[in-house]
Amino acid sequence: MTRMVTESTPSPVTVAPPVPARLYVAGALRLAVAAGIALIFFLPVLWMLSISFKPPAEWLEYPPTLWPKEPLAGNYTFLFNPGNPEGAIAVMTGAAEPVVPAFANSLVVAPLATLLSVTIGFLAAYAVSRFHVGGTFMPFFTLTTRMFPPVAFAVPLLLYYSAVIPRLIPGLRLYDTRLGLILMYVAFTVAFALWMTKGFIDAVPRHIEEAAILDGASRWRVLFTVTVPLVRGGLAATTLFIFILTWTEFLFALIFTQRFAITVPVQVSHYAGAIGRFYGPQAALGILASIPVVVTGYLIQRHLVTGFTFGLVRE
Amino acid sequence: MQNAVRRLSRWINREGVFKLALVAPLQVTMWLILIVPTLLVIYLSFVRWEPVLGDWTRAPFAGLANYAHVMVDARVWETLGRTLIIVFFAVSLEFLLGLALALFSLNTFPGKRLFTSIILYPMMLPWVVVGFTFYLLFLDKGPVNYILIQLLGSGGAQPWFKEPPLAIGTIILADVWQWTPFMFLILYSGLGALPKEPVEAAMTLGAARWQIFRLVTLPMLRPVIVIALVIRALECFKIFDLVFIMTGGGPGTSTESLSLFIYRTGFVYGQLSYAAALAVLLLIAISLVTRIAIRPLEYREEAR
Repeated sequence: MTRMVTESTPSPVTVAPPVPARLYVAGALRLAVAAGIALIFFLPVLWMLSISFKPPAEWLEYPPTLWPKEPLAGNYTFLFNPGNPEGAIAVMTGAAEPVVPAFANSLVVAPLATLLSVTIGFLAAYAVSRFHVGGTFMPFFTLTTRMFPPVAFAVPLLLYYSAVIPRLIPGLRLYDTRLGLILMYVAFTVAFALWMTKGFIDAVPRHIEEAAILDGASRWRVLFTVTVPLVRGGLAATTLFIFILTWTEFLFALIFTQRFAITVPVQVSHYAGAIGRFYGPQAALGILASIPVVVTGYLIQRHLVTGFTFGLVRE
Repeated sequence: MQNAVRRLSRWINREGVFKLALVAPLQVTMWLILIVPTLLVIYLSFVRWEPVLGDWTRAPFAGLANYAHVMVDARVWETLGRTLIIVFFAVSLEFLLGLALALFSLNTFPGKRLFTSIILYPMMLPWVVVGFTFYLLFLDKGPVNYILIQLLGSGGAQPWFKEPPLAIGTIILADVWQWTPFMFLILYSGLGALPKEPVEAAMTLGAARWQIFRLVTLPMLRPVIVIALVIRALECFKIFDLVFIMTGGGPGTSTESLSLFIYRTGFVYGQLSYAAALAVLLLIAISLVTRIAIRPLEYREEAR
């Protein structure tokens, strides 16, 4: 029982100078366990990182070694210049595509879809928070759209994009275009944006807005000069969270792009499918594809729970 | 002219116009990208149409034929069962491991911040990257088999992607690796937010650690646990990317998930109206499940 007390109040000040030896042992034991767990979580990606610096001969070498014997950056340069492979990678010639267009597409599609989604979601969230627009149906509706498997929507959307829209609006191309992907991503992330921003708006006391209205400011003015600055941090967190969702999205991008609007996740799968055992460049691409979202994820670490649970659980 | 501007400004500031303008963009998006396609998918499910058959508006009415086909198609029920198995094992493991990690992290030890940062990153990775990573790990001559051979001798190596149960196991492991951090994060923050008094009271009454956990902490944590399980299970049910990258549904169709099956039916085999019937049934099922599952969530919303 005494052990529990020392554990739940671990501040160093309360621990008397002669620390019992068993506390050191317990601490060292925990550190060892923690290191082991962290290693298990870290190793898979460490292995991919290792492959991404290995020449072709080492990709499937047995016994496998974690550290490349002849480390090289060829897998990375190859991604951007597949026509002119350097050194050891030159063994693998073939029909590899350059990844620059995929990165260009992702860098346009993900941020634009994110901004639109957060804007639309924020405005609606403001209405839900302040005027209870939509009642109880709206929460259920948005939650359900989020829980629906995207493939179920892909079926009609393909018909919609390739047959309905071209007939209604000639000249508007949505299949295999960035615009088509952006619209889809907005529709499927707006529920997240709504619920995440609603939490932040709810936290702003109404009387601040009411005071501004009494001073004669219009509704719009209050929204943009009083509320928006107060929820700036929340909007930033929501934006970064939605960016993670749109950057990593795979199914829609796979179905609704063919040549011109391919995104990074689809490109990762292309290296696996089209060329077979092209592990080195694919691992390099996987690392490059992960960097933006991992960095973003750490920036909003505090808000990840809020995001993934629709604000039902907050930190 | 000035008068008109003033009138316009008064108009856009009217309460009703303001409210309408706030929700209009969401409504337009929902109608264009969600509701119209939903109506389309219902229409498609009642006709016989494939892209090669020409104009979709003149497709012959098929009645309930597509739905009847779903009922007798063994592959539907196999993929559904398989998906539920994946959900069950993946989410249970994620929950248990996440809870263990959360309880472990309540202790203090040097480098704790670094520790939590390291175990969080898998959930930020793109699915396809996680799939590819685990594909590399479980290759015949990959590191996992190497370690197994070192531990168990030459019989330790397994043909991971050639035996269906093993292949499903690798998919579950990849999902567990990626989403245990989510369970950890949600349970850890839930544990941190619990009131301290009940635990302290139980301690002064002389309760054992396990008793306190089971009878005091766990019941208080219940709402958070329910939310975590519901959200993760619904999310995992959609599993597509991992299967697509790691096994492609193979060998044969033995590791196909429901999403992958519908994807193939509609977009590889081109049977769009059959895929539409599957989609409609899936949408109905998910709505019902969400309707039931949302109850504890609504309760929590009120309690807050």
